[in-house]
Parts: sequence; C-alpha cells; structure tokens
Amino acid sequence: MMNKKILLPLFVLIAMAQLYVPAKMILDREDVLATGIEYKFRTAPVDPYDPFRGKYITLSFVDNNINVENRKDWKSGEPVYVLLENDKEGYAQFKSVSKIKPNEKDYLKTTVSYVNSKNTMRVDCPFNRFYMEESKALEAEKTYRASRRDTTQIAYAVVSIKNGEAVLKDVMINGRPIREIVKEKQQSE
Amino acid sequence: MSILKDLPELIKAEVISQETADKIQHYYEDQKGNSSNKLFIAFGVLGTILVGLGIILIMAHNWDELSRTTKTIFSFVPLIIGQILCGYVLLQKQNNIAWRESTSAFLFFAVGASIALIGQVYNIPGNVSSFLLTWMLLCLPLIYLMNSSFTSLLYIAGITYYIVVTGYFYPMSEPYFYWILLLLVLPYYYHLLTKKPNSNFTSFHNWLIPLSVLIALGAINNNIDELMFIAYCSLFGVLYLIGHTKYFNEQKLRSNGYLVMGSLGTVGLLLSLSFDWFWEDLRRQKLTFDEVLISPEFIGAMVLTLLALVLLGVHLKNKRVKALKPIAPVFILFIITFIIGNYSSIAVVLINLFVFIIGVMTIREGANKDHLGILNYGLLIITALVACRFFDTELSFVIRGILFVLVGIGFFATNYWMLKTKKQ
Repeated sequence: MMNKKILLPLFVLIAMAQLYVPAKMILDREDVLATGIEYKFRTAPVDPYDPFRGKYITLSFVDNNINVENRKDWKSGEPVYVLLENDKEGYAQFKSVSKIKPNEKDYLKTTVSYVNSKNTMRVDCPFNRFYMEESKALEAEKTYRASRRDTTQIAYAVVSIKNGEAVLKDVMINGRPIREIVKEKQQSE
Repeated sequence: MSILKDLPELIKAEVISQETADKIQHYYEDQKGNSSNKLFIAFGVLGTILVGLGIILIMAHNWDELSRTTKTIFSFVPLIIGQILCGYVLLQKQNNIAWRESTSAFLFFAVGASIALIGQVYNIPGNVSSFLLTWMLLCLPLIYLMNSSFTSLLYIAGITYYIVVTGYFYPMSEPYFYWILLLLVLPYYYHLLTKKPNSNFTSFHNWLIPLSVLIALGAINNNIDELMFIAYCSLFGVLYLIGHTKYFNEQKLRSNGYLVMGSLGTVGLLLSLSFDWFWEDLRRQKLTFDEVLISPEFIGAMVLTLLALVLLGVHLKNKRVKALKPIAPVFILFIITFIIGNYSSIAVVLINLFVFIIGVMTIREGANKDHLGILNYGLLIITALVACRFFDTELSFVIRGILFVLVGIGFFATNYWMLKTKKQ
C-alpha cells in the first residue's frame, strides 16, 4: 500500500500518540493528587458495573443542593463551575454555581443534573466511580449502604481538586478506608 | 487435483503446450497456498481476540494488592508489546497477512485495555462514549498503516457501539460525530472493494457497514418518530440499490449484505406498517410544517431519499423500466403513501397492496429465472402478509383457514411445477 520509508515513521508517530494519551491521563491525575486541595464530600452509592473496567461503587452527592434564581437559565448536562466551602464538621459544601470560570481557587468543574420547580439545582458528581477488586465490590456496596442507613456512621469521599478537576482518592467510612473494612469483614467470615 | 495428473498426457498429445501446463500448475499451487493461509489468518485473529479480551478481563479484576505505580506500569505492558510486534511486522513480515492481521488486532485491544486500566486506577468517571471515541481514534491509523482488514472491522464495530451509547441512551450529545468516524474508514473500504473483491474480509465489510449505518440512523431520532419510517424506508432503498449496482450484482449473495438487508428491510418495514395502528396514530397527530422542517429526522430522511433517487437514476440508466425490480421504487411510493396517510385511511390498503405486488412480482421473477430461492422468497412474502392479516381482520376462522390452505397449496404447486420444468 505505502512505501516503507513513509510507513515506519508514521507508525512510530501513531505509537507515540497511543502512548501519549494514557500517559497524559496519568500525569494529569498525578498532578491533581500531588498539588490539589483535599476535600471530603458526603456521598451515596448506586449500582455498579462496567464492561471494560470491572467492578466499582458509584457515588453521588448527599444534600448538596444549590439554590438558583431562575431554573430556565440552566439546562441539564450544561457544564458549570461550583464554588466550594467547608462546613463546621469539615465536609465540603456547595456555596454557589456559575457558568464562568471563577477567580477563586476553591471550585469544581461539573455538569448540571437538573433544576427542580423550587429552583434548587442538583449537579452531577464528577468523581462518581470508585473501583474495587472484583471480590470486594459487593461487600463494599453492602457496607456502604449499611453505613448510609446507620446515621451514626458517616461515609465520605476524599477528593483532590485542582483547577476544577477532581481526582477521587478514597472512600471512607467513619474515617477508615472502605477497602480495609471490607477486608476485615471478609477475613472474619 | 486430477487435472495436474493429466498434464503430462495432455502435453504428449499436444493438446496444450508446456507453457500452458506450467501456468495451470502455478494456478493450482497458488490456490492451495491461499486456503492454508486463510486458516492461519482465521486462527491468528481468533487467538488474538481471545488473548486481548482475556487481558482486559484480568485487568478488570482490579488487583488491590498492587500499588498504583505497579498497576500503571502494567497497563502499558500490553500496549508496548503490541507496538513492538506491529513494528516488527512492518519491518520484516509486511506481506504476511496472518501476522499483519493478528498483531494489529492485538494492538487494537491493548490500546483499549491500557486506557481502561488507567481509568480504573484513577477512578476516572464512567463515560463510555468518550472512552470509545479515544480508543477508536487512536486505532484508526492502524487500519491504514498495517493494512489490516480485521482492525477495520473492529473499528466499525467500535464506532457503532459508540453511536449506540451516545445517541440512544445519553441526552443527544454528539451523535453526528459517528458519521465523520465512518467517513474516515471508507477509503480503506474502497481499497478492499477494488483490490480484494473476493476476500472474506471484504465480504464481512459488505455486511457490517450497512448494518452499522442501519443502527446509527436510529440515533438521529429526536421526537418525530413517524418520520423515521421514511428515513428507514429510503435507507433500505439505498442499500437495495447499492446491492444492485453492477459491482455487487456480480458478487455472491452471501457477500452482498446490501441487497439482503435492503430487500428484507423494505419488506419487513412494509409488513409492520400494514397494520392500522400506525396510520391511526399518524392521523391523530397533527404535525406542523415548521416543526417537521427543522427536525433532524426530516433532514436525515431528505438526504437518504435524495441519495436513493440518484442511485435509482443510475439503476434505470442501464436498464429498461420493465426490468425494474419491484423493491427498487418502494421508497418513493412509501413517501407518497405517507403523505396520503396523514389525511386518509386508504394508506394502509396501499401498503398491503405494495407487499402483495412485491410478493407476486418476486414469484414471477423466480419463475422466469428458474430460481427456486427467489420463487420461495416471493411466496414467503405473501405468506407473511397473510399471517399479518390473520391477526387483525374480522374474517371468520373458516375464511382465514381457507386462505392459509390456499397459500400452502400454492407453495407446493409452484415448487413442484418448477422442479418439473427444470428436469425437462
């Protein structure tokens, strides 16, 4: 089809691109983890499955409603910037929402989920997946659900945020990583 | 090969020259080589698929005991192995199809596995459509560089999955991107059609490409569902007419996905609309002209209809109107019926009539050509029509029963008659 002299350099170029894309994904996340600000978000789980990437638990925000003036200004799926602040207990809360990139440091880039008739906005959780080892995912899901029912236990996600980009570090229940709790449970059974 | 044994004798008797004998010998040796090569390709590719999918599954286990760094390094291993293999093939074994196809397929899966694993390590949110898009774009050049038909098939399957994920489930993000992705692989398809018309890979493309387009068309559906029937009818017309172009007419039926899908699709669509419910709905729903004009369904239907008209023009140029296949002009008749159907209940009668005519003309064509397959296809169309009417007419059981018996006898009689004339 093509001359070898052209073919080989082209192939090397494509190979570089194939290496660059995953490498870039890694470096971007590592940067956020290393230099981003850490937040704790109270979250809730949904059902897990992904054909390519295996088992995970799905997270969504709890009680993080944002009041807006007019619901007609916002569309579902529209990208937005959410300004963050910490509450008394140290959990992240949404202060306000904006369509323009804010000047402050404490913000998160995400999309609008919906705005209800009372002008309360819910936003999508951009760190909605926490991958678990196959054998532990189901147990993790159960543990997580139980913790949500039991009001004395608090489940939250530890997230690093830099320039609006979030990377999920860990999911904790009462200050302990969910992986450890599941491992302990599986060993005691 | 018995003819090879006879060659010396034929030369002796001066039936053929030594040169011709050599040529014959060469021809059969080439053929032999091809068939064993085909087996190599099939097993090579099959093996690669299994290994590739296996690697993805092993990685999907998400090994907790491994550190983040280890997992990250592991995600690059298959990718680099794949690249080294492909590089080696390009340098040393460029003409070996089995090597080319299987290494490219391996690299294809390795790229996907690598992106997926990194997504897992860093808990990157689940957006299958952007994952597929990145994967497919990174592998598209492999089709051309490695001259790999199998990668092309995988790519087409991948972008079809992409359009299903983006167009059918998510709020309409960018389903139009699919058409660009498809366009990007067409030059390779053209290369296959011109250079390797008899290859199995080309045959697979002849099925997969129309199938992919059929699936993708559904993604443009926004809210005027009824117009989608026009779009689909015209698409089936396009496929049917492509299947009847000179190039595809010379192909075997099993390599001509266009013809089969176009024909079955048209008949199936007409049959499903031969019930009254669709037309009742259509009359009840008053579509405004402005609303229709700007809808993606309308634009899609327009483009496809125009394309079908062009193809019909080409089709008619080479043939007399009398030789026109009954399914070819259905898309035009359907649009007219659709417009009538907005105002009058006669549309459903027309549709039934079309199916009946197609059935009868197909039977006639089968009889004229002495072709049992075509003849029985025609009979099947009539049977399907009768079966459909069985469900919704108010005819008494006796009459319906008699109709069925008559069609059944028709089957026997025509087949018997044809077999008899064939024998004579």
